[in-house]
Formats: sequence, C-alpha cells, structure tokens
Amino acid sequence: MSPDRTSVSRTLVPDPVAIRIEELRKSFGDLVVLDGVSLDILQGKTTAILGPSGCGKSVLLKHIVGLLRPDSGHVWIDGIDMAIATPEEKLQVRKRFGMLFQHGALFEDLTAGENIAFPLRYHTRLTAAQRRARAQEVLELVEMPELHDRPTSALSGGQRKRVALARAIVLEPQVVLFDEPNSGLDPMTSTTIDDLILRMKERLGITFVVITHDIVQAVRISDWVGMLWQGRLVAYAPLPVFLHSEHPIVRRFLSRTL
Amino acid sequence: MSLLPGLARFGRFLGQIVWSTVSNPLPVGRALEEAHRIGVNSLPILLVVSVFVGTNLSVQGASAFSTIHAERYVGMFVALAGVREMAPIMVASMVAAKAGTEMASQIAVMRIQEQIDALEVMAIDPYWFLITPRLLGILLVLPALTMISIFTLVVSAYGVAITQLGLDGHTFLEQATATTHAMDLVYCAVKAFVFGLVICVLSCYHGFTSGAGASGVGRATNAAVVMAAVSCAILNYLLSELLFG
Repeated sequence: MSPDRTSVSRTLVPDPVAIRIEELRKSFGDLVVLDGVSLDILQGKTTAILGPSGCGKSVLLKHIVGLLRPDSGHVWIDGIDMAIATPEEKLQVRKRFGMLFQHGALFEDLTAGENIAFPLRYHTRLTAAQRRARAQEVLELVEMPELHDRPTSALSGGQRKRVALARAIVLEPQVVLFDEPNSGLDPMTSTTIDDLILRMKERLGITFVVITHDIVQAVRISDWVGMLWQGRLVAYAPLPVFLHSEHPIVRRFLSRTL
Repeated sequence: MSLLPGLARFGRFLGQIVWSTVSNPLPVGRALEEAHRIGVNSLPILLVVSVFVGTNLSVQGASAFSTIHAERYVGMFVALAGVREMAPIMVASMVAAKAGTEMASQIAVMRIQEQIDALEVMAIDPYWFLITPRLLGILLVLPALTMISIFTLVVSAYGVAITQLGLDGHTFLEQATATTHAMDLVYCAVKAFVFGLVICVLSCYHGFTSGAGASGVGRATNAAVVMAAVSCAILNYLLSELLFG
C-alpha cells in the first residue's frame, strides 16, 4: 500500500514538534502491529489517529509513553528516545504527560476526588486540604463539581471518562493522550467529551493526541489527522487536507465503508 | 511458558522489586496498613486452626506413645512437631490462602483494567507502589502470627493433654521446654520471614503477569496460591535441615 501524498513529511511541518515518531515497528509473535510508522505531533495542536479496531492505534499510544518497547524505531520527546529511555528518563517525560485510558483506569477503592488528587500526592508538596481543593477545581473544569466524594464504583461511563480526564490534567501536563475517549458512550455524552477537549485546548494550550475510530470526533476536535491501516500510517495531514485525501483507505473510512 | 524464559522473566521481576524498594522512600505508613490488614484478616481463622492442630497433636501423640507406655513424651512431641514444623508452615499456608490470593487477584484486576499502566504513566513506580508495602507488611506480620500460632497450639495441646487425656501437666511442660529453646522461636521467625517473602513475591508476580479477562485473573490467583504453598512446603524442609538439623 503506497502512502498517500498527504502522508507525513517533516519538511512540511512548520510548528514546534512535541513528539517525533520515526520508523516505529512492533510485532507480537508473527503479528505485525506497527510497520514503520513515522509522524510528527505538533505542540499545542490536537492530533487524531484514526483507524479501525486492531490496526495498532493503542499500541502506538503505549509506545509514546514508553509502556511498550518497539522492535525498532524511535519516539523522541524533548530529546529523549522513549524506545531506549532509562526508567529515570521515562519518569521525567511522564511527569509532563497525562493519559486518559479507554476504560478510565480509575482506582475502584478511591472516590472520584481521591482519584484526581492521586498524582498530586506523589508529585507535589500540597497538603491534603490543598489537594482536595485542586481536585475540586479540576472537577469543575470537567463540569462535574458534585462528584468529589462519590465512590468510583458509583460513576456512570461518561462520569468515569470525565473523572479520568480530570486526573489526566490535574498536574497541568504539556501533552494529554486519549485512548478512544468516546468508546462506550452515547452520542450526547460523546459530544460533551469532545466539547471538553476543545475547551481545555483553548484554556490550557495542551497538546492532545487522540486515538479514535470515530471520524465525527476526529473532525470536531482535530487540527491534524492520521490514518493507521494494518500497522502503517497511510495518511497524515492537517484536517482540511485529510478530508480531501484521495487515498482509497481514507475515502472508505470517511464514507464509513470499512 | 518454557522454563528458561520464565525464570529470566521472574529474575527481572525480582530485580525490579529490589531496585524499586531501595531507590524510593520506604512506604512506612502503607506497610503498617498492610501488616494490620493481613494480620486482622488472617488471625481469626489462624486461631481456630491452631487450636485444633494443637488438640490433634496431643491426641495423636498420646495415641502413638501409649503403645509403648511413653505418654510422658507428648509434650516433647507437641513441641518438636508443633512449634518447629506445624506452626510456621500452617501460618504460611493460611496467609498464602487469604492474603496471597488477595494480592494476586487485586494486582491481576489492576493489570487487566490498565490501572498499572496508569500508575506508570502518572510516573509512579508500580513495583514500589503495589509490591513494597505488601512485602514489608507481610514480613512484619508473618513472624508475629507464627508466634501467636505457636502459643495457641501449645496451650490447646496442653489443655487437651490434662483435661481429656489425663496426662500430667507438669510433665507435659517439662518435656516441652526441655526440647525447645528460645533459639527455636528465633528459627521459626526466620522461617516465617522467608515464607512471607516467598508468598508475597509469587503472589504479586502472578498478579503482574496475569492474562486477560476473568479467566486470566482466576488462573493467576490459582497459580499464586499453589506455587506459594508448594514453595513454602519445600522451603520448610530445607530450612528445618539447615536450622534444626
């Protein structure tokens, strides 16, 4: 499959690069999941990586934060190659990252507020009262101020996503990664999550990377869009260019025939 | 999983626990919470089992020694078998069954729900956060539980010996104290310490390496308790040879 003419080309990218991915390859046994993926993720922009289930989107995201080690290739963040980074270097990078996992990954034995305050306890010198106040402040940002003392097990799917989002941004990270933020949500809640991402981008100027199979979401929130197909990035371009891509896989995805 | 890669993986896991424990602040508060939780959870069932193991040792000892008219040695038998062997391995089995399975299943659920990945992304060392407090907690509490079990077992054996079997209490205690010494209790504490280490490391290892889904959690929990119990039984023999042999 030849790459689309809108595929990534670093020379076309004028903005500062937050994350540079070079020729990333990863296999699990005989299954090739990522097959030479390269792209630059720009600072302060929202980048969506689209693709059908099982195309390697989540695996790509886990490489960015160093949860997986590639077979070959590089993930450059602030001069650190996450592919070969030491545990200390990974910690250094991760302190500037937030991540919203597909199912929230909230700690079930804590309340919503305790989940949000959790990173503050280990990365700041805030007192318990200050951590509580900060958690409440972030809950208000995600428009769920009433959830602070609610047990995590009593949260709905949409509420869990928002609490997880609040936890992801509580340390004011420079980059926030989203793994399928709308999966399992009804269309109205999905729209609310999209609106939150847009508002946070405006207010906080964070770089967002969104892994999704939802083309509607990608169109609503993204500045740049990439298309992963069978482990390869077949297209990567600013949203308006991507929407007019002639690549057959992109056309099929846009017309929802995949 | 073939043997060598499995051992290599386990070795890396052990190395990571050691590194994470020594390179981070000691989680004293959380370790005490774990110790309290493991102790409180295990104590009632441990007391019940200790009482009845003690009574059975007396009854069986008396039954065996009566054939050669040597019932006076029941106290010695209880001390040797109960204190040196039964109590440490019994406490280890109880704690493996209660606390070990809890550790394995909790960590396995956290693994499949991506909570361990979330800890890593939040720049919190999951080995330090999840394993170090559990390890310190079990190392603190297992020797204490073993001492409680020894005391309970001997008292119940003594009670049955004098009330049900009609043996002389003074002779029982004389025989028991003649064959066990303070160092025996220290050796029992050493055994308990080693068993605690084994139970915690194996339980956490199986939790960390759990497969996906409910069946993965079930298999991890099962493997944890089986491996811990078998390892403790083997180690009990080796340690007895080393310490009492």
